[in-house]
Amino acid sequence: MSAATTATAARSTSGSVGRLLRSDAVARVASYAFLLVVWQLLAMWKERFPTPAATFGFLWIEVTGGSHGGIVRGEFLEHFAATLPRFALGIAISMVLGILSGVLIGGSKLAEALLKDTLLMLVALPAIIWAFLTQMWLGMGDTAVVITTFLSAFPFVAVNVVQGIQAVPRDLRRMSGVFHVSGLRRLRHMLIPAVMGYLFAGFRFAVIIGWNAVLLAEWFSASEGVGWRSRYWYDANRYKGFVAWVILFVGFIVLLDRLVLVRLQRRAFRWRDAQRSETERTVGEIDVGVTGA
Amino acid sequence: MATLRVEHLKKTFPAIERGSKPTIAIEDLTFEVSGHVFVSVVGPSGCGKSTLLNIVSGIESASRGSIDVSEDGRPARLGYVFQEPRLLPWRTVMRNMLYVIEGDAPREQATRYLRLVGLEDAADKFPGQLSGGMQQRVGIARAFAVEPDLLLMDEPCSHLDAITARSLREQLQSIWTDAKKTVLFVTHDIAEAVQLSTRILMLAPGGRLYADVPIDLPYPRKASQTEVAMAQAELLGRFETMQAESDAAKTEEVAS
Repeated sequence: MSAATTATAARSTSGSVGRLLRSDAVARVASYAFLLVVWQLLAMWKERFPTPAATFGFLWIEVTGGSHGGIVRGEFLEHFAATLPRFALGIAISMVLGILSGVLIGGSKLAEALLKDTLLMLVALPAIIWAFLTQMWLGMGDTAVVITTFLSAFPFVAVNVVQGIQAVPRDLRRMSGVFHVSGLRRLRHMLIPAVMGYLFAGFRFAVIIGWNAVLLAEWFSASEGVGWRSRYWYDANRYKGFVAWVILFVGFIVLLDRLVLVRLQRRAFRWRDAQRSETERTVGEIDVGVTGA
Repeated sequence: MATLRVEHLKKTFPAIERGSKPTIAIEDLTFEVSGHVFVSVVGPSGCGKSTLLNIVSGIESASRGSIDVSEDGRPARLGYVFQEPRLLPWRTVMRNMLYVIEGDAPREQATRYLRLVGLEDAADKFPGQLSGGMQQRVGIARAFAVEPDLLLMDEPCSHLDAITARSLREQLQSIWTDAKKTVLFVTHDIAEAVQLSTRILMLAPGGRLYADVPIDLPYPRKASQTEVAMAQAELLGRFETMQAESDAAKTEEVAS
């Protein structure tokens, strides 16, 4: 191998390493590693911080169903199975009522004047207030948890839909008016797709805020579920158990976002992708033309 | 085919700032359009052409006078071709057509008019995948597909390049001949008006009717035909006279 080719090979290797270091995956792994190191240092500094190893060990037992010094056997799936239907129902109600009220407020000046401030107040109310209030009003049980999830998530859906509706191009509204397109068709083919970007932002907020709300509501009003389990270990002074459940809780929402929401979003914006791939194809054809010349 | 009656139509827009005068878009306009005709409204910018279409289509209301669009005594159905295509970007071409079409066999209706504009194969594409000219042809197919009694067109070729606009004009003639609709077409391009129309209404600045000119030439017309070029030259002459008169009137007004 000549000196020149060796140099080229070295350059290309360092180039690909540089690319790898700059890539998303590496950056993500590095950020997790950094967090772990900080956590470990904290645990070494103060005993009250459980170490990452102890926490993940606890988490493993909780997930796989071993025992915790004879206290309780792991019940990971049961708690998720209790939480998820409450969460799903709360989010479903938020979406339906959020879209309806968003369309109403965004589409009618009167409704906007009457309801917009109330909606902003609801956005400003933290989930913990609803968790307290629903516990006072409804006592322990599923209803309090579902209602807390709904009340916390709903305003974010509605506010985003209002913004989306008000951003629908005037040209398209006029076109629909001139052609006397029915209200239902306008809703389905003009408003909803135009609002889709905003709706997705609202849905993502709703899922994240709603998930927080579920945890808080279960903390106060449930006798099983992810929130209840976190509180159980907290009350038992087992901090590694508490932190383990927080990790499960956060991990779930990150996975849901990556696996479900991102895919749904891609599907909803197919038309944009189709447009982009068409442009890319045209550019590709031009490139070939230039090379040929 | 509908009858459009415009009588003593006046449209003023309120003053934007305090102390300034309200703008008169249309001063006093009377005309009637009826049957299988292609009527163009031409005039310089700001003579109220687009305002007229907006009033006829119901987007804006008249300040005074009346507009009546009827078909055998019932209110007429309208079709509209805008300056820009105004398609729903998130729906395919076919879904854009179905968005406005009512009736028993909407899909057949949509396909028929897409075929007429040569875009039958683009039915499943999104507007963003089509060129500007193709999008405008979808807009035209859509306006015809609602089977309108009166078809309004607001400078549909003005945003297109010269070659695309030329082929679109030729297509427009053949669709109009086939579909037998009453068309009210607005343009500032006299050559285009002559090539397409059976009759031209020339508006002077301030929205007065300056001339009502029939164009009696057989279809299809090409821009390169001698008769078309001669008619264009004649009308252009009248247009220049109108502009000169209007400028003189303005100078007089300022002087007094």
